[in-house]
This record gives sequence, structure tokens and C-alpha cells, in this order.
Amino acid sequence: MTQQGRLGKRLGRILLLIPYAIRNPGVTVDELCERFDVARDEILRDLDLVFMCGLPGYGPGDLIDVAIEEDRVYIEMADYFSAPLRLTPAEGLTLYSGAAALAALPGMEQADALRRALGKLGAALGQEGPGEVAVEIERGPAGHLETIEDALRRQRRIRLEYLSSTTGELGEREIDPWGLVTALGRWYLVAYDHSVGDERMFRSDRIKSAVVGKEAADRPKGFDPERYRGAFVGDSGQVMTMDISPDAARWFTDYYPVRSDRELRGGWHRIELMAGGERWAATLLLRLGRDVRNVKPESFMHAATELAQRVNSVYG
Amino acid sequence: MPGATATVGYSRLMARIERLINLVAALLETPRPLTADEIRERIHGYGDEPTSEAFRRAFERDKQELREMGVPIETVATDPFADQADGYIIPKGRYYLPEMELAPDEVAALRIAAESVLGGGDQASSGLLKLSMDAALTPSPGPRLVWGADVAANEPMLASMFAAVTASRVVRFGYVDAHGEGSSRTIEPYRLVHKRGHWYVVGRDIAREDVRSFKLSRIHADVEILPERFRIPDSFDPSSYLGGEAWEIGEETSTASIRFFPPMQWWPEQNMPQAEISENPDGTVEVRTPVANLDALVSWALGFGEAVEIMEPEDAGRRLLAHIEPFLGARR
Repeated sequence: MTQQGRLGKRLGRILLLIPYAIRNPGVTVDELCERFDVARDEILRDLDLVFMCGLPGYGPGDLIDVAIEEDRVYIEMADYFSAPLRLTPAEGLTLYSGAAALAALPGMEQADALRRALGKLGAALGQEGPGEVAVEIERGPAGHLETIEDALRRQRRIRLEYLSSTTGELGEREIDPWGLVTALGRWYLVAYDHSVGDERMFRSDRIKSAVVGKEAADRPKGFDPERYRGAFVGDSGQVMTMDISPDAARWFTDYYPVRSDRELRGGWHRIELMAGGERWAATLLLRLGRDVRNVKPESFMHAATELAQRVNSVYG
Repeated sequence: MPGATATVGYSRLMARIERLINLVAALLETPRPLTADEIRERIHGYGDEPTSEAFRRAFERDKQELREMGVPIETVATDPFADQADGYIIPKGRYYLPEMELAPDEVAALRIAAESVLGGGDQASSGLLKLSMDAALTPSPGPRLVWGADVAANEPMLASMFAAVTASRVVRFGYVDAHGEGSSRTIEPYRLVHKRGHWYVVGRDIAREDVRSFKLSRIHADVEILPERFRIPDSFDPSSYLGGEAWEIGEETSTASIRFFPPMQWWPEQNMPQAEISENPDGTVEVRTPVANLDALVSWALGFGEAVEIMEPEDAGRRLLAHIEPFLGARR
């Protein structure tokens, strides 16, 4: 982290630590560590620093009073810091849109509390009426989501009928569910797929059926949904390069996780990305139509040609 | 010796934080705005600056740092006859978080939301800390449902657009449309919408006299908030800008008839609740639904490969074949 970033982060924390200790007299150092997610010696150094601060004059009656007695923290003489700084737009919007996204999901247990919280948060952010900010998650099959949530809560295995984006075929999978992720307005199930012996992401609308099994399911310790941002884990791992037109370049990177992007003469772009299998690549190429050329490896171009012929025969 | 440098860096960091806390405390408690000279003389930490130029630089950096954190430092005239704003103060009403009276289950729900946000987790957790000052730390019972919501709230234009929407103020910005054409737009921003992973502002384009949606990632210059206010007309229907597939938004309105072949015949039943769905004797499924953008329909249909056929409008079928033509020619 840069010096600047460290400064802002630490100052922000101390400006929250003071009101928290004022409002909760006798809070333990351990609880402060847990709440602010920092090590004990960091918190103690923060408190040491607060002890040096106060109002002009900086005499005994002007300095903030910090006492630690038997591991309990007391901060006094700083009424002007007894309420925290208001939310920044980024904090408010991140929380608001996260809560709105969850509230929009079918079968969300906390939907009612989320909606009430959204009303209050919106008002605090200066919103006059309800719903000036809307977050829409594609609904997808609600029944499946409830089944999956149930399996996640009870940590049970799930049997899925799933339409593979890699092969375009419907198949049965036996999976240990790890968590759910939304990306590009859809929800995905992150899971360990026993049939391939690896983790996979399953897109909601491709799930034909989901049944909770009796077997216990494992979830790795410290499972972090952050890793699945953009929803492209567990792919074939094959790199694909291609040139896309200036028109396509304007939207392409908004929707596909591009590994590199270089502008060529004439405004075309050379794109490199991880392909999710041959079928996936073929579909992408057909969608691009005349906006793509110079595709590598050759096998993806073959797959696209074959798919185009099958599509063509449907209309024949 | 890197260790020594780190220690010097650390104590300088802490000294600056101390000075910033003293500055915030003084500007919050002062009954009247303080001039820069008064700040230099009175506030602990500034007296060490050797020259007034050094002080000026340090004070500028500090103000900027605090403003970036959201601390509202205001510049006002210290006396009514002064011709320039020479005093500094932090108005308490703009500094403190208003009491929100969140119920325990509301705080718990927001905690789940904060933990679910992907990218922007720091913002979500510091926001949550502010909102849960008086709430107990309750560990979540049993195995928790893990959700990750990618709401892209770190979009750079989002905060200023949000401010304009909530204040009902007209905005002006530079915009590049889907065809790459750049222009300056002045709109009445009615609503912010996060749809299919992207943020849009829906509002009335004043010059074009029409309500449109603008993708925030296509706004390429700062959003300028203008003094004019507006009212959202009663006839505005936000639901027509929400949800749906890309082919539902546009001007080429007609009815599409789409056929699904096995193994995809189950798909519409689960995923197209609004559509009219019927099963054919041969096991295929036919879907009728309003459509408004034929190119988007073609792109969507291609996603299903040979498992979907657009029967109507015929023009869409023709466009689909023309679209994949380069791949058919490649075999020849």
C-alpha cells in the first residue's frame, strides 16, 4: 500500500475508534481488535496516539482522555468525536447496492430486513423517495436457487442436471456447493464438481434441475467469493487470441475478462482471453460475426465453422 | 538500513495522523471559522513547519487528504466585509453521521450485504462500521450462506451521478454512444439502475426531448452538476427501463416466435416467465414474445447454437444467417 493509502486507512480507523470507545465505555482491547480487524499492538498504538490529541491549548483540560484499565478502554473529554463521520458516497453506494442486489434475489431470508435497512440508508444518503437506485439481478429459476441455498445451509451435496457451456450438452453432475456469486446480472453457483474432480461455476439459467442429496458436502476453509469475480474460473485454460473491430472493441471488454488488449492499425484490437472450451469459443465467434478475424488457435475457428453449418441447416 | 527508514517513515506517518486529528477536532469545535494563520499558530503539529510556504504546502495536503475521506471542510469569510473566503470550519451537521435507528436485524442484514460485495469490500466494511457503532458483534450461527454480489459500486462516475439523482439536479457530461460517437449531453437524471452487471442512469435528455438510458462506463468526462432542478413526471415508468433481455429494449417492435429444440426445450419454461410458451407434438417448444431489437435477438439466439431457431420475424432469421455468413464461406 502507498504511504498515502496507509495514512487514509489508519486515520479513518482512528476517527471511528474514538466514537466507538466513547459510545461503548469499557470495551475490551480484544473486541476492538475484532471489530476493526487489526492486531492488538496496532490498536494500542492508535490509542497512544489519540492520547496525544485534543484541542488548541493542549493542556490537561484540552487533551483527549484515554485510559486502559484491566484491558478495558475508556475515552473521555472528546464529545466532539462521539458520532462517526458520515458515510462517503463510495461507502454508502457500495453498501446500498450490495443490499439492493441481495434483496432482489429470490428466496432471500433477510429480504424484509434488507428492504427496511435500504429505506433508512437511502434516506441517510439524501434520497427522498424509495428506489432512486435500483439493482436488478436476473431472476433465473427461483426454485433452483432455494434448493441450492437449502443445501448450502445444511452443507449437503447437490445433484444437478446442467447444460455445459463447454460442450453444449446436458449432463448430470454431483457437486459440493461452496457459495453463490452474482456477475453481469446473473447468479452463479460455485462448487466442487465430483464428476471432473475440480471446482466449477454453474450459471443459473443453465441448470435444468437441482436436488439436495443426503451426503455431507465440504467447503474449503476460508472460501472467498472474491476470487470468482467476473465468473470465469474452472475454464479449459486455453488461451485464445483474435482481432476485433473498432465497433466490437467498444463493448467487448465490458463483458469478457480480457488478458491483454492492444490497438492495431485501423482501430482494430488484438485481444487475448481465456476460452471456456471449444463450444464457448465457437459461440463467441459466431456472435462477433464480421467483427472478428485472425483467430488463434485454428481449432476454435474450425469449431465456429462447424457450429455455423449446424445453425445454417436449422434454417435450411 | 531499510529497517531504520521504515521506522522514520512510520513515526512521520503517525505524526501526520496526530496533526490531522488535531485539525479535525479544532475545526469541529471552533465557534467561528479559523484563518490559516490561526491554524498555524494554534494547532499542534503545524508550528514545526519552518517557513510559511512549508506550512501552506502541508496545510493544503492535509485539507485534500481530509476532503478525500469525506470530511466536510468549508471555506468561509471570517468577517462579513472580507472580499474572500479566508476561514476554515467543519460544520457539525455535515460531519456527523445522522442517527439512523437501525434495528438489530437491519444491521445484521447490512452485515451480510457488506460481506457479499465483491470488489469494494473495504468501502463496505468501513461503511458498516459507521452504521453499527451501537450494535453488538454477533457471530453468524452455523454454516453461513456465502453470497458474492458484483455490483461494481466503484464505478468512477457513480458517486457524482448519485448526488445529482438524489438532489434532483440537471447534469451535463461527455458521452460516447454505442457507435463510438461522442457528444455532450444534458439530462434530468431520474434514476440509477444496475443491470446485467453495469450501471446506467435513466433520464430525460433535454435536447432530444426523450427519456433514455446512459451507461455510466461510456461517460468519459466529469459529471457537471448544474444549478437547475427538475421534477420526475408522474408518467415516468421505471419498470420499463429495468430488467429484461437486451432484445426487449429498442425501437424495432414486433412479436418474435422462437423454436427451442431438444436438449434445450426445458429452457424457456424456467427462464422466460413472461413469454407465451407452447409445446409441439414433435417435442420442440415454441415461444412467442414481444421484441424490440432484432440484432440483440440474433446475438441472443446464437448463444443457443443449433438448439434455437428464430421463426419470426423473418427479417431476424435473415439477419442471423447474414451474420454467420463469414464462417460458412470459410469452408469453401
